[in-house]
Order: sequence, then structure tokens, then C-alpha cells
Amino acid sequence: MNRLAYLFEGLTLKRVLLVSILCVWAAAATVWFFANTYLDLLVSSLCVGYTSMVLFTAATNLRQRRLPRWAVQVLSIVVGSFLGTLLAGIVKGRDLAGMFTERFYGVLITMGLGIGFGAMAVWVYVFRERELRHEAELARARAERVQLEKNVLQAQLALMQAQVEPHFLFNTLANVQHLVETDPPSASRMLESLIQYLRAALPRMREDATTVGREADMAKAFLDIHRMRMGSRLDYVLAVPEALRCRPFPPMMLISLVENAIKHGVDPCCEAGTITITASEGDGRLRFSVADTGQGISCKKGTGVGLTNIRERLKALYGSGARLVIEENVPHGVVATIEVDDLVAADPVAPSKARCCA
Amino acid sequence: MGTPTAVIADDEPLLRAQLRTRLAKLWPELAVVHEMENGRDIEQVIATYDPRLFFLDIHMPGVNGLEAARAIGKRAHVVFVTAFDQYAVEAFEQGAVDYVLKPFNEDRLANTVDRLRERLTGAPAAMDDLVERLAGRLAPRVAEHLRWIKASVGQSVRLIPVEEILFFQSDEKYTRVVTADSEVLIRKPIKELLDELDPDKFWQVHRATIVNVDAIAAVRRGLKDQAEIALKGHRETLLVSRNFTHLFKQM
Repeated sequence: MNRLAYLFEGLTLKRVLLVSILCVWAAAATVWFFANTYLDLLVSSLCVGYTSMVLFTAATNLRQRRLPRWAVQVLSIVVGSFLGTLLAGIVKGRDLAGMFTERFYGVLITMGLGIGFGAMAVWVYVFRERELRHEAELARARAERVQLEKNVLQAQLALMQAQVEPHFLFNTLANVQHLVETDPPSASRMLESLIQYLRAALPRMREDATTVGREADMAKAFLDIHRMRMGSRLDYVLAVPEALRCRPFPPMMLISLVENAIKHGVDPCCEAGTITITASEGDGRLRFSVADTGQGISCKKGTGVGLTNIRERLKALYGSGARLVIEENVPHGVVATIEVDDLVAADPVAPSKARCCA
Repeated sequence: MGTPTAVIADDEPLLRAQLRTRLAKLWPELAVVHEMENGRDIEQVIATYDPRLFFLDIHMPGVNGLEAARAIGKRAHVVFVTAFDQYAVEAFEQGAVDYVLKPFNEDRLANTVDRLRERLTGAPAAMDDLVERLAGRLAPRVAEHLRWIKASVGQSVRLIPVEEILFFQSDEKYTRVVTADSEVLIRKPIKELLDELDPDKFWQVHRATIVNVDAIAAVRRGLKDQAEIALKGHRETLLVSRNFTHLFKQM
């Protein structure tokens, strides 16, 4: 029995009430055309109405694939009208056999009316259903947009916090402190790099876009500081063609990749490592990549907030026109590449305030 | 009691040199007998030098300062060195453990040295609790679940973070890995993936299918009482076999 219960889903009190009202009204509307009493017509209309309603509900819910759903629904109204008319005959205590002979004409009229009013009710029902579905879709789209906005906001917040990591700042200052006493020229160089880095990093949170060249310069200052701090363990190569330096690029993404490369790529293994930053163009897209020669990513190690943050922001800025691709380096290490299609690069979703470095 | 001996562990050579020169000034009789780049080989260092005191940087690659302190146990006194760790500093203050902040402040370092001179006469304190608590806080233990899928794409090996993946589906001898904008094939079978993926985030819904729970947009009832999953940002729908329908029973 339970297996069939699903057929009657949606058979709510509200629906029963609406059908009842329709039947009362239909009987009243037709009483002028017939010799029958109003009560007689009401019984017929209620019998036809309820039977059709039950069958229509079942037809709507029925899971089958042989016939399209609308065909089953139409069929349910026709059969419902016929059975309803028979039911009305039984209720009124009429001779059933007579219904197919001398009163067949009357039966046909009742059925026809049932089908007519049934079709009307169904039309209203289908219309309502479509409207509801439309509304649900709208609500979902709105929820998705709100979620996206929230993600972007969170990404921005994380970005601001990551801007200048205190750990990085204090460790660098400790190095400077020591160098001032032991090797003043180096201290001065390190301070210069730190200033260059801070100058590039601090105003970034107010901007939506900067340029390839400025991001590369900032990465260079950052790498210079780390190279001095880590001694011989870190080396880097910067391959950014002059022609690409003026191209707009979202801020603070490259530096995140460089930070990752140092943290996960070079630091853990105590041997020397090389970080290569490359900007290139081809196949209608701009590529900015950071490659390290570290241990590579273990399949079970976390992806970190940084990469998720970059993905969220790329999506918010360029939709599907940009992506972050992570690949294995040869023979070991990781290459992280941000690709921005030329079409969207010129006109990101969010307003860009990129200034050219020229 | 003889000359007090110390070992300095820090991954940055300049900072090791700095601490060494500062200590030489403030505590001339202390002999720095060894320097380390990280906390590895603690056993060997203890066997060789048997120092009374360790200065440990907390953040070091490989074996960090907390792990090193755990290895040292009660065999030597430990002073932590850190650049910026709010949590650690709070914990040290509560646990009365010695610590030094980088960049060094002359007066503070002098205070610490005074305290250490006194403390060195006694036995090293046990600080297992503190270290455990800090270790948990600084590097929260993550469950060992699969976080990346490696797949060959053309010449290169691409790393796909599992959060990006909508579903896995076995396709004869390969497994399809489907994301919102790409699809790759890997050799790892569904069964193995199931053992390695985070069971809270990835559910098996069919003999051949694992779905990312976050990627489910809706679960609809399809033909023959069988549930169907609609995905966010993807046209395909996934069948839920009867054995797994309980996952989607209404709460």
C-alpha cells in the first residue's frame, strides 16, 4: 500500500476545497440549461469533480515512460469524467444499464461538462505550477549570487590579512637588526627590498587590478628578502618579457603563489631550491606561472587557503575566462599557473582601475 | 658544575649568528657548542654534545621547535625563540616557559639569561602538556584524506584539488573525474578512491559513482522510485542506486 502512496502526493485539503468550490459553481452555472434540480446537478458535478481530481493527481505522479505526462493527464480527465458520471448514477440510485441506452445522451453531456471544467481547472493548475517553478529558480539564482558575493568578501578579507604576514615582517626585521651590526651594506640592501615590497603590497587592497610588471617587481623584492634570509638555499629566475609588463593582472595572486612555492616547495627540503616566475602569451591567453623544484605536492596535503582564495577571486573577476592550473614540475616540484583569456582580460566582470606602468 | 653548554636551532643562518653574538655579550661563560638548521637529529646532538640548554626556533622546516622539544624531553632545558606567535606567547606566559622574541630586545634577553642561569642549577622541567597543546594549535592535525587528484593531461601531470571535483564515475577500466569545466580520466578505481576521500565530503551514491556533497544542487525522484542527483554547474544527473537512497531520506 505504501508503495502506491506516492501517487496521491499533492492531494491536499486545499486542492479538495478548490475542486469543491469549482463543482458548486459549475452546478450553479449549468442549472439554467437543464430540467434537473440544483441538488441533482451538484451531486453529479461533485462525483465527476472528485473522481477526476483523484485520477489527475495519480496521473501527475505516476512514474512511467511509455506515454508523455500530458497524455496521461488528459486521459485521466476523460476517464475520471466517465467514472464520475457512473458514480453519480449509483449515488442517485439510477439503473446503470439504462445509462447506456435511453439516458446515454444525458451521460454524454455530464461527461462533456466534466471534461470541459476539468480542462479549465488543469489549465489553471499547470499555469500556477510553472509560475512556482519559475519563482523557485529565481530564488535559487539569488541565493547563488549572495553566496558568490560572500565568497568574494571572504577572499578579500583573507587577502587583507595575508597582505603582510607579521611573521615575515618580524623575521626580516630581526635579520636587518643583525646585519646592521655585522654587515651594514647587506642590511641596507635588505631594508631596500623590504621597503620595495611593502610599498607594493600595502596599497594593493584598494585596487582591483594592477599590472604584470608590478606584480613581478613585488615578487622579486619578496624573493630577494627570502634569498638573503635563507642563504644559499634559495635561488630564483624571473622571466617576464618587457612587452607583457603593462598587461593588467589581478593583485596579490602571484605573490600568494610565490609564498606557497617557498613554504611548500623550497623550505621543507633542506637542499637548495629554485623558483622560476614566467609570464607568457599564446592561444589567446596570458599565463603567469610560478615553478619550484621542491618535493612536490603530496596527495594528502592540504591545498591551503591561498589557492582557494585565488580561485574564488578569479571566478569573481573573470567568470570562466580565467583559471588556476596546478601541475607537477619535471623532475620534481610544482608549477602553478594563472591563465587569463585575452577576451576577459581587457574587460573583467568587476571594474578595473589598472594603470599602465609606462 | 662546569661551563654551561647550549645548542641553537634556527633555519635562518643570520638569526643564529645574531643570537650567538648577543649571548656571548650577555652570558660570556655560556658555550654554544652546536648550531642546527632544524630539529632533526636531536638524539645525535644530545649524544655528541650533551648540552644543558637548547634555543629552539618554533617555525623550522622539517622538524619544528615543538617537535624538537618533545624529543628532548627532560634531558635539557629549552628556550623557545619565535618571531610572532600570539598563541605561543600566551601559552609560554601561562606555563612559565622561557621564550625569546625576534627581533631581540637587549633588556628582555638579559632578563631571560638571568632566569636561565638560576634555572640551570635545577633539573629541566617537564613541559609535555604545554608542548602538546601548542603543537595541536600551531599545526592542527588534519585527517589523512585525499586532497589532490593527479591526472595526466597531454604531456603534463595536472593536480586537481578535490574540492573542485563534482563527481567520480567509473567507466570500464578508468575513472572519470569531472569538474565544472573539465573532465579527466584516472586509473584509480572507485573502490580505492572511496577509502582515501573524506567520507564527510564525498558520498558513494551508486556502485560506480562518488559525488561531492557540496556539488549537489537537488535530489529528485526519478523513474521507478530511483533518486536522481542534479549538480551545481553541470548538466549531467547522477543516479542514486537503492542501496544508497537512505543518504537522502528526509531529515
